[in-house]
Amino acid sequence: MNSDAQLKRFVPSPARKPKDSEMTVLRWIRSRCFNSVGNSILTLLVLGLVFYVLDYALNWAVFDAVWHASNRRECMDISPGGACWAGVIDWFNGLMYGRYPIEEQWRVNLGVVLAVAWLLPLSCRSLAHRSLMLVSWIALYPFLGAWLFLGGGFGAETGPFHAILTSLAAGFMAMCYVNWLLAMLKRPSLTDIIYPLVARFVARQTHIFSLLLVWLVFSGVAGGLLSQVALAPVAIERWGGLFLTLIIASFAITMSIPIGVLLALGRRSKLPVIHWLCLLIIELVRAVPLITVLFMAVTLLPIFLPSDMELNKLSQVLCAVCLFAGAYMAENIRGGLQAIPRGQYEAAQTLGLGYWMTMLLIILPQALRLMIPNIMTSFISILKDTTLVSIIGLFDIMLMARNIANDKNWIGLHTEPLAMISILFFVMCYGMSQYSINLEKRLKVDR
Amino acid sequence: MQRSGRADLTSFLNRDSTRGIVIQGVTLALVLALIAYLGSNAAYNLDRLGMMFGFDFLSSTAGFDISWSLIPYDPSMTYWRVFLVGITNTLVLAFNVILFGTIIGTVVGILRLSSNPLVALLARSYVEVVRNVPLLIQIIFWFTAVFSTLPPPRRGYALGDLFFLNNRGFYFPSPHSDVSFLWFAGAIVVFVGAAWLLYRKARATRFHQTGNRKVVRTGWFIWAVALVLACIIGNGFVEWSIPALDGFNLEGGQYVPVAFGAAFVAMTVYRSAAIAESVRAGMESIDRGQHEAARTIGFSRYQMLRLILIPQAIRAIIPPLANSWLVAVKDSSLAVAIGFPELVSVFMQTSINQTGRAIEIISMVMGFYILVSLIISYLLNQYNARVQYKVM
Repeated sequence: MNSDAQLKRFVPSPARKPKDSEMTVLRWIRSRCFNSVGNSILTLLVLGLVFYVLDYALNWAVFDAVWHASNRRECMDISPGGACWAGVIDWFNGLMYGRYPIEEQWRVNLGVVLAVAWLLPLSCRSLAHRSLMLVSWIALYPFLGAWLFLGGGFGAETGPFHAILTSLAAGFMAMCYVNWLLAMLKRPSLTDIIYPLVARFVARQTHIFSLLLVWLVFSGVAGGLLSQVALAPVAIERWGGLFLTLIIASFAITMSIPIGVLLALGRRSKLPVIHWLCLLIIELVRAVPLITVLFMAVTLLPIFLPSDMELNKLSQVLCAVCLFAGAYMAENIRGGLQAIPRGQYEAAQTLGLGYWMTMLLIILPQALRLMIPNIMTSFISILKDTTLVSIIGLFDIMLMARNIANDKNWIGLHTEPLAMISILFFVMCYGMSQYSINLEKRLKVDR
Repeated sequence: MQRSGRADLTSFLNRDSTRGIVIQGVTLALVLALIAYLGSNAAYNLDRLGMMFGFDFLSSTAGFDISWSLIPYDPSMTYWRVFLVGITNTLVLAFNVILFGTIIGTVVGILRLSSNPLVALLARSYVEVVRNVPLLIQIIFWFTAVFSTLPPPRRGYALGDLFFLNNRGFYFPSPHSDVSFLWFAGAIVVFVGAAWLLYRKARATRFHQTGNRKVVRTGWFIWAVALVLACIIGNGFVEWSIPALDGFNLEGGQYVPVAFGAAFVAMTVYRSAAIAESVRAGMESIDRGQHEAARTIGFSRYQMLRLILIPQAIRAIIPPLANSWLVAVKDSSLAVAIGFPELVSVFMQTSINQTGRAIEIISMVMGFYILVSLIISYLLNQYNARVQYKVM
């Protein structure tokens, strides 16, 4: 049919550019903030409120604040309406380290630096056994850290088992760093160097044996060196401040994942005994407030444990917090497990993988990745919840901050320390949540 | 081909059902052994420390005072009464937090979606600041920095000579009557219930058959009138006690202590931020097409919200909201840090110190929280079953 050709084709005329006057910032503000009477009033109200709050807060915290004074009265004399940061500065060391002896505080700093440094080799993507580094950080670093923080003769007070694990940790870290250095120099790693030697004696799993051999040699050397070091013992009761808060939070955060995984897998198990046991634990713990779990740990653990076994308060609290965090984490992980399509399980079975292999290699990596936002939210709430340990008398940063008001120089100085730790917590938690959003975006791109 | 007994045994041991039974048996045995072990330790330790086990202490006299309680209490009453006082105080705090937290949270959540960038930013800052600072710090902040620095009663704040705020607490008028409270509650239930039934019936017949909206408005009107009527009639039987300054203190009326005020304000603010996030997430979960479709058929903004958006959003909002309420009940235990006499404070701290019955008391307190959580999750499940999309 030729009528088709005669039909007029619709040709859209090109869109006109907006007038210059329609594109200015002012125009945008007007269209969004002042487009109606109600909205204009709202905008003005908000502006007024923001101005008032900022004006008050800045005057109090910065312009009228006192930074140098020897006691609260002096602060009041200098500026009655301003913040007295001098008290917080005076107590800053206590807020950070609690009553940890000042001359030993380098050990705390070193411990934190080591914890971060442990993970640095992970940035080198060509390094082998990167997952092992992460696992060792959870499983081995705490022993090294505990030795650093507690002090005492090497293995003398904490027992030979702890000494062995500490040397294993130190050896592992040293080995990682040497391997990292070699990788940067584009040389074969230590394991590869001794591989031919080991291969003469061991036919199967040669790689693992070489790794173990290198690690053991390093650990032996590290243990020998460490045994020459004598650190002054520091009682756990002296731990405090941000240091203690971070110990409890990081311990709970790292332990919550394995506990949560086990509980979640148990809850989804087809075996009724396991299913009901895990369900009972998860639901009971989630139904009660953390503070009651803490009270339970402090008052009931001494009753239910053998009379000759004395746990200090910190370990009781750690047990409670780990159980609590684990139960919440279990529900997050269960959500991730449920979101994995059946096909993944079936595919894994088809490949002949058993239950644990299916879970470890196929299901859990996907489930954990899916749940990263929720897991991060849980981490943030664990960090916030650690402040509760102050109620049962552990000198974490919260209790240290409250204690400033009892110092005879700074009687009644409540607001400033609380403001300071609020800002600290805000920075940590907000940073974590922004990081999680960032991570989520990055992982979405990966797929 | 012949199978040896050994192969038979291997295949029997490798069978899923056999493994299942073995694993479960071992787990069960381990759990039972653990319980027995802990139990024997407890028996030994209790014996060694000269403590006893049993709930008989509940009927003995407590002997200590509680600074504030909703139900009558004095030191000559029993530990059971202390338990009840703790529960009511906890529930009063949690109820108020839930009520105001939900209202404020909904408003903030909707403000976060405002087209006005300034308003949205302000709401967002509120949520982020409140959410990222631990609740305990906020409670103590409100207590020490705000409520404890209030002026004494003589120089306190007053609102129309009815409400007073000072460093002892918040005072407000309270009704007193010879008639039992139950009568009032009964009357209100009867009045409002009857009005509601009438309204439902009218709605079911007239509105749903004819689409005449007038009946709905009339229904609301009847309902309001019934409520006002119930209040007016009730007021005739009531004498109001109004707080008034008497010497250095306020006499009359009812009051809540400053610890209640601080805990209430901090928890309400904290909860409202969490609820605002659920509301925002719920509203954002609705497909954009729903907005556009509602506009296309000519709905006004109000109709769009009322008939299209809210009914759908509420399905996504209610589960996290109910969870938030549950958390509010649990979080109310943090008021122990500023000495508000709630359950953990009066029962878990004071009573354990007085009686030493740790096992019994802790299990009672946990039992209470578990019960509350069971009730809330039961109600939530019922609700969820009701509002689920019906698949034809």
